Amino acid sequence: MSLTRLRIDIEKRLDTFHLQARLEVGTEILVLFGPSGAGKTQTLSAIAGLMTPDAGEIMLDDKLFFRKRRTGPAVNLPARKRRVGFVFQHYALFPHLTALENVAYALWRKPNAHQRAMELLERMHLTHVARHYPHEMSGGQQQRVAIARVLAAQPEVLLLDEPFSALDLSMRERLQQELRILQAELGLVAICVTHNLDDAFAIGHRLAVMREGQVTQVGPIESVFRRPASPKVLEILGIRNVFHARVVARTPAGLFLDWEGLRLEAPLQPISVGERVTAYIRPEDVKVLYPNRPVTSAVSHNQVDGKVVGKQPHSNFQTLRVALPNGHEVEVRFPTYTYTPLSLTPGEEIRLSLRKEGLVILHPSSSPH
Amino acid sequence: MSWDPFRLSLQVTAVATIWLFLVGLGLALLLARRRFPGQTLLETAINLPLVLPPSVVGYYLLLALGRGSPLVEWSGVSLLFTWMAASIASAVVGLPLMVQAARAAIAGVDPALENAARTLGSSELAVLWRVTLPLARRGILAGLILGSARALGEFGATLMVAGNIPGRTQTLPLAIYDAVQSREYSTANQMVLVMTALAFLSLWGARRVERPSQRPKPQQHGGAGR
Repeated sequence: MSLTRLRIDIEKRLDTFHLQARLEVGTEILVLFGPSGAGKTQTLSAIAGLMTPDAGEIMLDDKLFFRKRRTGPAVNLPARKRRVGFVFQHYALFPHLTALENVAYALWRKPNAHQRAMELLERMHLTHVARHYPHEMSGGQQQRVAIARVLAAQPEVLLLDEPFSALDLSMRERLQQELRILQAELGLVAICVTHNLDDAFAIGHRLAVMREGQVTQVGPIESVFRRPASPKVLEILGIRNVFHARVVARTPAGLFLDWEGLRLEAPLQPISVGERVTAYIRPEDVKVLYPNRPVTSAVSHNQVDGKVVGKQPHSNFQTLRVALPNGHEVEVRFPTYTYTPLSLTPGEEIRLSLRKEGLVILHPSSSPH
Repeated sequence: MSWDPFRLSLQVTAVATIWLFLVGLGLALLLARRRFPGQTLLETAINLPLVLPPSVVGYYLLLALGRGSPLVEWSGVSLLFTWMAASIASAVVGLPLMVQAARAAIAGVDPALENAARTLGSSELAVLWRVTLPLARRGILAGLILGSARALGEFGATLMVAGNIPGRTQTLPLAIYDAVQSREYSTANQMVLVMTALAFLSLWGARRVERPSQRPKPQQHGGAGR
């Protein structure tokens, strides 16, 4: 993580839950991830000055946004003085103003407002809708007008609340790319709320997982997935094929687990024999083996027989549910074009390999007892 | 027939409209955007002229504007039996219509739009001027038209506080009463027609302002604003 610029440590009691958000953000895009009702939007509102926490502190570089402690004077900088750009979930474009007037909103009574707004529209490829009203624009266009409008105010912090939720796939990818470029170019401290993992991977430098008003884990996205801090984080990330097992042996080659009668080999890690662990394997790392073909070394470990119990086609991949001899089920996920010679219909007996490198074990100290 | 009642009605209604706009808009904003103790009480008090007999409203105004009232003691000005008193009485009676319409329009403005304006650097006054009022303008205008129309037709309370002095406080509704009393039916007919036309135009105009018929509102994307 780059140098910390925005520090948040706030507390707020709401009707249904208790928000206790702690975050440190640098010049980067931090993805705030979590189920709805976790307090993500509330956290953004507090940073922008639209919601007043009960206690705590919010600071950008050496500029104090908010402070309320048991002692000392309280500080609450009004939203208009924070230079925090907020892109709202439903864009919140002014319906009585054209795209151009929306973008020029923050430039009121400033010289060259019109020209500046036009430049920003150009930057977002929107000059052709400059005179259109919000209701005359598509969702993607409205979204880009909202971003241009925020940039006109020259913010230091950019907050995005579910920015991709209403966009189709191609629009989404373009906007993600544009946002990453903008963030780097302008050196913005950016926080993006989402509950879609693909979006998180596409846009985020780091991931903060929120649950029930608390930030449960923060880190580079890959490492949060590799080392989820707790089974709860696993659940929030929507990770499949989670199981509990016991470490039964440790050799230089790897770690051996017992999952209720199923013996699995995992990469070596500093966990002692006898420990109970939570582990998971991504559905992509469960491979179906062809019956009459030689097995490559990558899938030679952890071979297990199973029975197909369900099959679910998706746009460009399929998932299978396979019952294992130990009574549990695993999910298998593979591109639609693979395994075409195999009949993978429910009831079919097949052989799987749970790839050794794909087995992720959570550190035992963080699993429940 | 004298033109004085027309002139006076116009004068009284114009000034009443100014009162309605300033006081009514302030009250509508207060009721739509703030929560405070006694809110329901204030709302009920504003709406009282809708159901009270005009003579009762007039009586309260007599107490407020007459000798011995703290207001008169403090300002040293007594407005009783002037056209200004008529304009105040008209405004009080028109106020509930203005406040109800304007309040609903202001409450209908998506708070996210006001928040967006705040994060874009607007002060509270600028938010009001550039976002809230422009978006609520139809409802505010409709309320103002309805309130003014009611003010134009004011009779009872006006009679109590301003009297019925031809050329000084005698507005159209009072003049009609006088004309009928003295059996000048042709004069009464003319004035009744004018009043009816004005009332009809006002109601029709208020409706048009609230829901313009030629331009149906297009569907909004993303659900923001309205």
